[in-house]
Amino acid sequence: MNYYFGRGGAKLIPYLLLLPGVAVYFLISLGPSIATSLYSLTDATGIQGAPIRWIGLENYREFLFMGQASRDNLDALGRTLIFCLCVTVIQFVLGLAAAVILNQKLRGRNFFRTLYFMPVIYGVVIQGLMWTLFLYPLGGPMANLLRWFGGRSEFLGGQPAEAFAWVIVVQIWANMGITMMIFLAGLQTISSELYEAAVIDGAGGWQLFRNVIWPLLTPSVNTNLTLNLIGSLQAWQLFMILLGYRNGTQVLGYLIYATGFGQTSGSVTTSFRQGYAAAASMVLFFLVLAIGLPVQRFLRRREERILG
Amino acid sequence: MKKTAGATRLRLNWGEVFSYIFLILLAAAYLGPILMLLNTSLKTMPSFMRDATAFAKELNFKNFADAWVKANFPKYLLNTMIYAVSATLIYIVTSVFVTFPIARGYVKCANLLLTLYVVALFLPPSLIPQFQLILNLGLYNNPIGYILLFLVNPMGVMILVNFIKTLPRELDEAAALEGCGYFRFVVSIVFPLIRPAIATVVVLHSIGIWNEIIAPTIYLTNKNYYPITRGLIVFQGVYGSNWPTLAAAVLMLTAPMMILFLFLQRYIVSGLTSGSVKG
Amino acid sequence: MKKLLSLLFAVLLICLSLNSVSAAPAAQKTTLSVLIHQNPPMVAFMEAFNAKFEEKYPDIKIDMAVVNANDLSTVTQTRLTANDIDVIDVFGFANGVQPYMKNVDAPNWQQLIEAGLLMDLSDLPFVQNYDAATVADAGSFDGKVYEVNLGRVSYSGIYYNKEMFAEKGLSAPTTWSELVDACKAFAEDGIPCMTAGGKDGWPIFVGAYGLIGSVYPDQAALVEGLWTGSLKWNDEKSLEMWEKMKIYAQDMMEAGASGVAGDAAPGRFASGAVAMFPGGTWYAAAIEEIAPELDWGYIPFPGSDDSADNQYLFGKYDQGWSIAAKTPNRDAAIAYLSEFSDPDNYQEFVTAVGFIPTQPTAKLDTRIGNEVAPYLENFRVGYEQYWVAPKGAGQFANPWASYFKPFGTYDDAQTLADKAQADLQSGLDALK
Repeated sequence: MNYYFGRGGAKLIPYLLLLPGVAVYFLISLGPSIATSLYSLTDATGIQGAPIRWIGLENYREFLFMGQASRDNLDALGRTLIFCLCVTVIQFVLGLAAAVILNQKLRGRNFFRTLYFMPVIYGVVIQGLMWTLFLYPLGGPMANLLRWFGGRSEFLGGQPAEAFAWVIVVQIWANMGITMMIFLAGLQTISSELYEAAVIDGAGGWQLFRNVIWPLLTPSVNTNLTLNLIGSLQAWQLFMILLGYRNGTQVLGYLIYATGFGQTSGSVTTSFRQGYAAAASMVLFFLVLAIGLPVQRFLRRREERILG
Repeated sequence: MKKTAGATRLRLNWGEVFSYIFLILLAAAYLGPILMLLNTSLKTMPSFMRDATAFAKELNFKNFADAWVKANFPKYLLNTMIYAVSATLIYIVTSVFVTFPIARGYVKCANLLLTLYVVALFLPPSLIPQFQLILNLGLYNNPIGYILLFLVNPMGVMILVNFIKTLPRELDEAAALEGCGYFRFVVSIVFPLIRPAIATVVVLHSIGIWNEIIAPTIYLTNKNYYPITRGLIVFQGVYGSNWPTLAAAVLMLTAPMMILFLFLQRYIVSGLTSGSVKG
Repeated sequence: MKKLLSLLFAVLLICLSLNSVSAAPAAQKTTLSVLIHQNPPMVAFMEAFNAKFEEKYPDIKIDMAVVNANDLSTVTQTRLTANDIDVIDVFGFANGVQPYMKNVDAPNWQQLIEAGLLMDLSDLPFVQNYDAATVADAGSFDGKVYEVNLGRVSYSGIYYNKEMFAEKGLSAPTTWSELVDACKAFAEDGIPCMTAGGKDGWPIFVGAYGLIGSVYPDQAALVEGLWTGSLKWNDEKSLEMWEKMKIYAQDMMEAGASGVAGDAAPGRFASGAVAMFPGGTWYAAAIEEIAPELDWGYIPFPGSDDSADNQYLFGKYDQGWSIAAKTPNRDAAIAYLSEFSDPDNYQEFVTAVGFIPTQPTAKLDTRIGNEVAPYLENFRVGYEQYWVAPKGAGQFANPWASYFKPFGTYDDAQTLADKAQADLQSGLDALK
């Protein structure tokens, strides 16, 4: 690429200014993660002074190929993919619709924007509390609403599939605000003259969206798709808070947390198993990588095609 | 010509109606659970235990006072603010200097770096190695070490890179021709132009720090350094939590973030950029 | 944007200057770091105790940190690594590796001991204040003492509403069939029999631990039998247990129990919505707070038709104290625990926290304490405190009533029994 700001030594300035950010990233994030990948090949406990032995791929074998437990793990993997697909698609569509609508000059748009963003501010524990109360089957608002139509449900305490579906709802509810925000920021880059030109040419709402907004939003589309995809693949906290460790509902992220920190059931004392937990999180890492990187490549190609 | 204009107006009206239906339906799903939190924050503990979802007739505002005192709000909230403000500030500045040359291709292996940041989104959690690192750096139980943890956020990098890509290159060329140096260009031209993206990242990043609970539990053991989330665990217990006080505490805890969001929303949706950036 | 940035800077500077004012000057005395997990009555007691202790030992300052129970083991690990802790709250030693178990990892407390991180307390005088059985069961490893355990909780009993029972002319059930009949009698009046926090999952199966206990009173032997193959989850005796669990989950629990949060369950019982509530002794405080005037009792879950099998209370050892082996404040730490273990102080602790005491001289003189007193000589440690799953065992390899509909997906006792055994067997086979 052409660099306009001088020659020779001046070309090094961007490197110099980029260095602090990249160095911190290597130190804080990449380094420890590489250590994790090494831990996954050992029987490390994570306790100081305890011996560490290399055990090769044994942790991976246990997680992926040992007995019924590994088949349960693969089920969780399947659920993770379903969860990811539902959340990504619905959150993307809702967030886009909300952003496009709220980018118009509508009365009360600040109120709606703020309202949709509020859950993001609250954090998972409180999101969980809100929905537990909202979906309380004995006299909660949703239960009352459902009763008017002659129905009843246990919601989060229902059958695993139903409970799982509600976590999808809450996950979307909790994070749609971020998607909307990113789209709203992206919409600001489309100059108002383009809108006006398109309207003068007689473009209706849909045509305006299809021919002007959608292609020019490509960078935001990429950001959102990537974030939703990865966020939902790694999600687990809402599962812990809304459902607890219930058979037939766990996703991979929760499974890793629960086995890594020994919270699969009640008050059972488990072992420190740094190595095994590391292997389990490496499996999730590879899964996210296997899905995320091709999608990322596809999105980048598409962007180059559209924006040149 | 007249006909078209009339038709457009009609369509627009329909669009508005649909818009409002969509917004209001969605708003109901958002208001319901949030009102439940408000309701809970006004209940007494026994009344909450008896019937968690009943209307809070007692209007027990005392929860807010209790929460304020018991969670040590004045002191811990200040700490949280210090962490959030300084970490976000440093993060934003370093990130813009990372993302601008990457988006422009002004550094070699820009694509490799970008890929590394994308990979960072996927990276497995590495609590114990990260802890050992901070410990060996001598930054355990040290606010600087704690802030260091929040100087990385690949999501913000993604948002910034994608946003900077929408700025026309001609800007750089024109500025350089007028003798503007790289540093000054980034600070005085790029920063203002990417305001919507920066505002978005500021909100998302500071919320993350604001609500963080695990990291302070592990990295900060001196009570003088506790952030407010660390104070909130007073209301949680193994054998049952004090939800009404916790709800009140959370409403107070998140108020500054609400204000920040309302304030920055102006920048996110300002429409100012569209005028100055011409394609 | 500049305005915004300068505003942020200004806020930061104000914050920093304010904070430097509030920072306390470094103290010239020994600071003893104590770590406990969040449990409101415990924290309240400890704060008062610490103040008293500091008064008595003016050169020792207590710095107590409170963390969520979920984070306790992680924080124990990190603070021991950083050598930043003196006295630690450690849960009672449980789930130990038995000789008949193969290819399982040592529990976390054993890992800490083997890494040399917990101090040997064997010869310290205050250990003698606790009863010998507790010290041996919940705080010893390889013949040495590493923890003094502070109390037990029971989770295998049922709270029952005495008034509602009296109205129906019923007495507290002592056998399974009496329990079934009582539920039927309440059902005739449209009163749901029991509730439990089904949304959280575990309260449902913890509520049925008494049922497991009456079928298998020796729970250590149950675990050994399952490991060695002499007992199976789908043999005749177990099948009886599953059948009863199905009745418990589907007929005794109120409709909607699967959506009740664990925190909300005591409220349902206290408000008189249900006649009974199977759950741990720790719920008593909540029930009394919500409905102080309610007349209730607590009995072992009558899971067997032979009332002799129903006289046991099952439970676990809750928290205890350990000292970090590398502590630079050894004497202060010992003084702290000696003071805590003083019978008078310990008695106050038990009264505040509501644990079943582990010092022979102490008494839990509360309502729940008096309710459980008759069964205390039959107190036994429960199944899940012994159980260590073989690696590779499936997720259904547990005797949990919550697998039944509406909490889980199973509707037939035999099918579930076969699944539980198959999941267990899969782990046992993986060892070969």
